[in-house]
Amino acid sequence: MPIPDIETLKKEVIDSPVWRAVFRGGVWADTPRDRQAHISGNVWLHLHPAKVRPRALKWTYTWGLGGLAFALFLLLALSGVSLMFYYRPVPGLAFRDIKDLEYAVTLGKLLRNMHRWAAQAMVVAVIAHMVRVFLTGAYKRPREFNWGIGVLLLTLTLFLSFTGYLLPWDQLAIWAVTVGTNMAGATPFLGNAGPFGGLMGMHINNDVRFTMLGGTVVGGSALLRFYVLHCIAVPLLVGILLILHFWRVRKDSFSAAPYSANEPKVDVWPNLVKREYLAAVGLVIFIMVWALLQNAPLEIMANPNVTMNPAKAPWYFVGLQEMLVYFDPWIAGVLLPGMIAAGLIMVPYLDTNPKGVGYYAWGERPFANTMFLLGVTMWFTLITIGEFFRGPSYAWYWPWESWYGFKPAPPPTWSVFGPHGAAVLPIALGVAVLGALFTGGIFLPKLIQRELPGKKLLLGFLALVALVGLGGMAAHKLTGLQVGFLLFFCGMVFQFGFIMPQRHIRRLDWARYLVTMTLVVCMMGVWLKMCARLCFNIKYVLTVPAVSMNI
Amino acid sequence: MSYRKLFYAFNFALLAVFVTALVKDNDAQWKTYQRQYYDLMADHLTKQAAAETDPKKAADLRKSAAEYRRHPLAIKQIITDGLGRFDRCTTCHVGMDEYENPGLTTPFTQQPFAAHPDIAGLVKTHPFTKFGCTVCHQGQGLATTLADAHGWVENWDHPMLKGTAIQGSCVKCHGDFAALKGAQAAAEGEKLIHQHGCLGCHAIDGVGGTMSVDLGDIEDKPLERIAGYNFLRVRIDGKQLPLDHWNIQNWILGHLVDDPEQVTPNDPFAKMNTEPIAPSPMPDFSHELTREQAEDIVAYLSGMTKLEEVPYRDHVQGPAAREPRFSDPKAHGHYVFVKYGCAGCHGVDAKAGRRRFNALGPGQKPFDPKMTEAERFAEMEKGREPTLPDLMSGYSHEELVEKIEQGVPASAAKKWDPDGPMPVIYMPAWKGKISKPELDDLATWLLSIGKKQDLGF
Repeated sequence: MPIPDIETLKKEVIDSPVWRAVFRGGVWADTPRDRQAHISGNVWLHLHPAKVRPRALKWTYTWGLGGLAFALFLLLALSGVSLMFYYRPVPGLAFRDIKDLEYAVTLGKLLRNMHRWAAQAMVVAVIAHMVRVFLTGAYKRPREFNWGIGVLLLTLTLFLSFTGYLLPWDQLAIWAVTVGTNMAGATPFLGNAGPFGGLMGMHINNDVRFTMLGGTVVGGSALLRFYVLHCIAVPLLVGILLILHFWRVRKDSFSAAPYSANEPKVDVWPNLVKREYLAAVGLVIFIMVWALLQNAPLEIMANPNVTMNPAKAPWYFVGLQEMLVYFDPWIAGVLLPGMIAAGLIMVPYLDTNPKGVGYYAWGERPFANTMFLLGVTMWFTLITIGEFFRGPSYAWYWPWESWYGFKPAPPPTWSVFGPHGAAVLPIALGVAVLGALFTGGIFLPKLIQRELPGKKLLLGFLALVALVGLGGMAAHKLTGLQVGFLLFFCGMVFQFGFIMPQRHIRRLDWARYLVTMTLVVCMMGVWLKMCARLCFNIKYVLTVPAVSMNI
Repeated sequence: MSYRKLFYAFNFALLAVFVTALVKDNDAQWKTYQRQYYDLMADHLTKQAAAETDPKKAADLRKSAAEYRRHPLAIKQIITDGLGRFDRCTTCHVGMDEYENPGLTTPFTQQPFAAHPDIAGLVKTHPFTKFGCTVCHQGQGLATTLADAHGWVENWDHPMLKGTAIQGSCVKCHGDFAALKGAQAAAEGEKLIHQHGCLGCHAIDGVGGTMSVDLGDIEDKPLERIAGYNFLRVRIDGKQLPLDHWNIQNWILGHLVDDPEQVTPNDPFAKMNTEPIAPSPMPDFSHELTREQAEDIVAYLSGMTKLEEVPYRDHVQGPAAREPRFSDPKAHGHYVFVKYGCAGCHGVDAKAGRRRFNALGPGQKPFDPKMTEAERFAEMEKGREPTLPDLMSGYSHEELVEKIEQGVPASAAKKWDPDGPMPVIYMPAWKGKISKPELDDLATWLLSIGKKQDLGF
């Protein structure tokens, strides 16, 4: 019997009825039609367009971040389902099952490590993807809605990671989740500790936190709820939104701008698919190596009677926890994060600048990029402080400082306006002063019609602050370091909160202008409050305890 | 590099990583030990077969040796009977697995191949298949690596008990542990606790003073409550403890072999009602107890747990507590002195009062605000509880009984440094706690050891 040559054999196989039934299309001839058929005839690749702009293939345009985030989602689903075979969400068993994974299950340790690290990587990838999309203006028409879905997916990613945090049922888990869910208890109207919560008849056993936990503390029912949310509810929702997200990417066409007019598009198969494949394989290698080298943390079994000190939220929520130092819980844990999410969803509707879609355009959209990056910087600054500069009792510890020594109590804090602050200044004055600052900050940039000389004004303002600072130093009320911080923060807020809006968005229509400026002024407020609390020990600038208004 | 080359490179790298993971997973520590055990057994049997004269017996031995060589490897686990423990210790300690080795004896002396020592017949009375291992030995039963299983690692609070500390486990179930062979150290520890007056400040299950923590569940003390502050200051044999040796046994030992003032110094930044805070008021036992005695106390206290859920059927009732009878009131008085932990403050046999930080004491210089911090600290250190024999001449029998009944409140303390910390320990009012006949005999004994005052005749 003659040995059939490989090409004939290949043809035989491909032309066989079974092959033809499973895979559409015929013999591969590498024509544009074949390539198109590869995409449109394959259920997995069908979400891709058949052709894309050449720029979309450039690594330095997308960084592959959306695809990496999705690959991580798939990796997490795969490793997560594998872990589900070994895990029972019951307090007495959960921790033991994790120990079993660690010690007795074949590749169990690797699975758990991979799941843990992939989850952390996915949070990073999704945030980075959002930053990339923003910087390339890819949220603009007609992609506004898809940007909104993306923001929802980001919050769901965080929630997915957060619900998974509880499942090992160790000390780290229950105390991080305790910190996270306690913030929900401060929701206005719906939380027992939030403003007007009492008015709505909210108690510790009927409010929104109780609903989340299925109890008043993080216990068995909380574990079961988080398990169901983590394994079924949230992934399902994320899956649905992902389908919508991808479908809209295809329908709205990929954002990458053409390099030149009448530029021909290139085939997705194999140009994009090979890149995606390599990125995904590289990612799996990266996660696996990470999982081989570094074990996922596992502390001693959860004990509701022994509080960890410090008890910290998962790292991506430590920024919110850090904000608790500066604001009343309902502001730090509910209002500000709500404003961040809502503000992000509104971004495409606020930004009327038609330029800079599909490429990195620093010069063409200075205001949008600056404000967005300032916000991202703030978020990660807060996370860095909370993660690396906070020790026992959430006091300030330098990263190189031991947590175990005796340490003097931090200097006493004080409030500027409020019943416990300077007694002569009543709350009304505080409300008036802060209200005036806030309103002035919002309205003033638009009310000044002519463009102001930014550099001169900033220098003048800094000189004024320096003068006040030097006066304070002369009176021995301020230290040089404090004056330095004052100059930095005030200068930054003046530049980004007043000069930039005045130059760039004063011609915006009133509705868009007011929403934008409210967001900008609130962000500046957080920066200023950080300065006030960290450098001047000001607990609250204004405190009205009756309505939990502590800022 | 072209994409085609990258494609191959990445795929091979992925395969390599996956194979590495498999190899790493397969290369478990327990497999080495189990294999070694079976090989050692095979070698042993082969040797026996060579020495055997009966050819049939020799063939049998060779056959079982061959079986040992082929023995498959597996994780072994004991699911304990009602103790809520799952022990995989026999995975490496194969010789202690009753199914593998019904006789529970092995010809090897080296761990993990050695047999369990049979102390006072405990191997029979505590079937391992029922009780498992960690209920007595502690450690991490679920773990299958040496370090993690023995539990001397971070994030495991109850490592394997070392040395005599294991005897605490007898105390958990055996009310009659004092009479048990093999629990002598724990029994000695219990005696020492009475003798040195620990019960004056610490209760055990509600019996004893309320000055400090009840030791009845000291074994369950969460390390999180200690670790943050004081473990770094624990010195055993003059050495600091590594992180994986932070456990309750060392915490107790650290209080007995070193001055507790070193373990829990005063927080220089903390204030109690505007007054500074005194260091730990626990007396310095490091000169009073030998290292061995300290370990005996640790052994006894290692059994002080309320979290270990041992079924009632496994408990052994102790002898009924019966008060000894004394014909000599003085001997009874001394017994009462020991029983209520008076030695905690007044010293063993009331010989010398113990330290009372910042109280007045013998040989102190008068307070001088110009003294340096260290000098002041040294003087405060000299504060002492009363040395009873020195005071007895001032009391009649009735006055002494009344004094003990009323006690001396903390507020009556006279401080050496008026701005220093309040002396922590005080004399409780014993009325109603010590019965009247006991008090009478206590006073009789105390007056009998009092120094006679020179009346000047």
